[in-house]
Amino acid sequence: MSPLVYYLFTLAFFVFAYCILGWGLNLQFGHGGILNFAYIGFVAIGAYVTGALSLGKPSGGQSYIFGFSLPFPVGLILGGLAACVFALLVSVLTFRRLRTDYLAMVLISLSLVLYDFINNFVPLFGGADGLTNVPEPFADALGLDTNTFVPFFAGVSLLVALLMWWVMSRITNSPFGRTLRASRDDDEATAALGKNVFKFRLISMLIGSFYAGVGGGLIVEFAGAFNTSAWLPGETFLIFAAVIVGGVGNNKGMILGALIVPVLFTQLPKFIPDIPGHPGLILNIAAMAIGVLLMLVLWFRPQGVIPEKKRLSKLPPLSERHRSTGAISAQLTTEETL
Amino acid sequence: MSELFLAIGFGLVVASVLALSAVGLSLQFGITNYINFAFGDFMAIGAYTSWTLNTGPLHVNIWVAMLIGGLLVGVMAVLLNRFLLAPFARRFQKLFYILIVTFGLSLVLLNLVSSIWGDEVQRYNISNQAPQHIGPFLFTVDQLVVIGIAIVAMLAIHFMLTRTRIGKSMRAMSDNSTLAMTSGINTGFITTLTWFLSGLLAGIGGTVLGITQASITPGSGETFLFVIFAAVIVGGVGSIYGAMVGAVIVGLATEVAALFIDPSYKLDIAFAILILALLFRPSGLFSRPGKA
Repeated sequence: MSPLVYYLFTLAFFVFAYCILGWGLNLQFGHGGILNFAYIGFVAIGAYVTGALSLGKPSGGQSYIFGFSLPFPVGLILGGLAACVFALLVSVLTFRRLRTDYLAMVLISLSLVLYDFINNFVPLFGGADGLTNVPEPFADALGLDTNTFVPFFAGVSLLVALLMWWVMSRITNSPFGRTLRASRDDDEATAALGKNVFKFRLISMLIGSFYAGVGGGLIVEFAGAFNTSAWLPGETFLIFAAVIVGGVGNNKGMILGALIVPVLFTQLPKFIPDIPGHPGLILNIAAMAIGVLLMLVLWFRPQGVIPEKKRLSKLPPLSERHRSTGAISAQLTTEETL
Repeated sequence: MSELFLAIGFGLVVASVLALSAVGLSLQFGITNYINFAFGDFMAIGAYTSWTLNTGPLHVNIWVAMLIGGLLVGVMAVLLNRFLLAPFARRFQKLFYILIVTFGLSLVLLNLVSSIWGDEVQRYNISNQAPQHIGPFLFTVDQLVVIGIAIVAMLAIHFMLTRTRIGKSMRAMSDNSTLAMTSGINTGFITTLTWFLSGLLAGIGGTVLGITQASITPGSGETFLFVIFAAVIVGGVGSIYGAMVGAVIVGLATEVAALFIDPSYKLDIAFAILILALLFRPSGLFSRPGKA
């Protein structure tokens, strides 16, 4: 297989993985209005747990917990659930007490502390060295080598992504999704209608974290290794940028966002040769470009490339059903967008 | 016992660095009512500017370099507010737009710093000093100067807020900016001035952080930012005096705790304090109505 095709499959994999990550954050932030600045931490937990469960007993100077050699989807699902459990802990401690900005402060701190802790506490997930030689799923059973594994696993990830897209659109189109968006736009009014805003946010946080964990798990199984350099707290911003560029509160836009931001701005620049004497300059410039791109999108097109669609009621407007109370217009059946 | 005093001594040094930065963050929060997530990178820019002045061909004295770096960051903060943050804050009612913009700004500035100055660990050109015994404590001259700078700055801010017209206008604006505006306070000028002071303190804080940690990296300001958050939340967000007290509590607690646990988990102690504060006094020690 030519290097170009191999490379395209690698990029395709990252699009699928970032779609999953983006949908999770989109549920929390786009639909729920939770500024989860620790999102990459949940991705990392999913990746570490999936990796450590899929690996065998630690050997050769590696150290990590678990090591159960679990087969493919089991480790991935448990990784997602681990991220969920962590999210439950965090949400119960913080959601009731804090308004948006305090919550963001606490979450960004959490992200840094988690990073610092996993980096220092070697017995947990190998410290700064992280996990290496994570088995490639099905590679032994199907006799895949490095060349054939990449397209194969890109296909597997596509299936996982499609499944998760379907589930996510069911969630966001359900009454649950509607209430969540209502609480994003005006939490007091939603609470006044008898909805338990805390519960809705908690559930969106849990589902979103499951997506984060599964996305992280796919990445560790694809790359075969994971360490702290892969999830610097700034990575969270990358996923935020993808969600905002693609379109907040919009699952389809996310695919475009995953194509534009993580792939075009971070995976591609990794293959541009370094400018002699300035190692890492290209990646620095790419990161700055993402920041600038995000600000431009927020200013000129805050609804994103593909805007969140106004979800209108299928019923005829109230004014046509009850001519006498025509003053209450169709506005009541539309949802305010951002 | 002597170890405990050593830890308390260094805790006071950390508290001084924290107080400078936490007050800088709080001043700006009080006026604009949103957190500046790029504050840690403001600190890094101050630290590197004074590093260039200090170790470059100019060989500026470190304390003069610190001041110049601070002034520069102050001007930068004013410009960033004028041309980036203020327009966003005016245009979008929802808080999370402006928070994401400052978060994005932090990414841009962090990468700007590392592309200008590189990722290697740098040090200031300051002579090694033998620590001196002062009572039961042990301080180097530089550490004493840092504590002195913090005390002078805190007193200056206290007198500014309580005795001068500008300081009173700031407090008025932070209580109720619409009312302040209708009372004839020039809110635009006060906002600009506050951003300048916040940047100045960030720049100075970044340099003294580099001096006390004996190293500067592009990310050190960002990592320290969350220790600042801990101090600010313990004290009560937006409260200047709360930030000062929070700085002392967090600074002492992290250094004293390092006696009992592996010092590489110092950050986790700051986070534990943050969580405890949220559990038992979420509005902080010096909470003000309407700000929690």
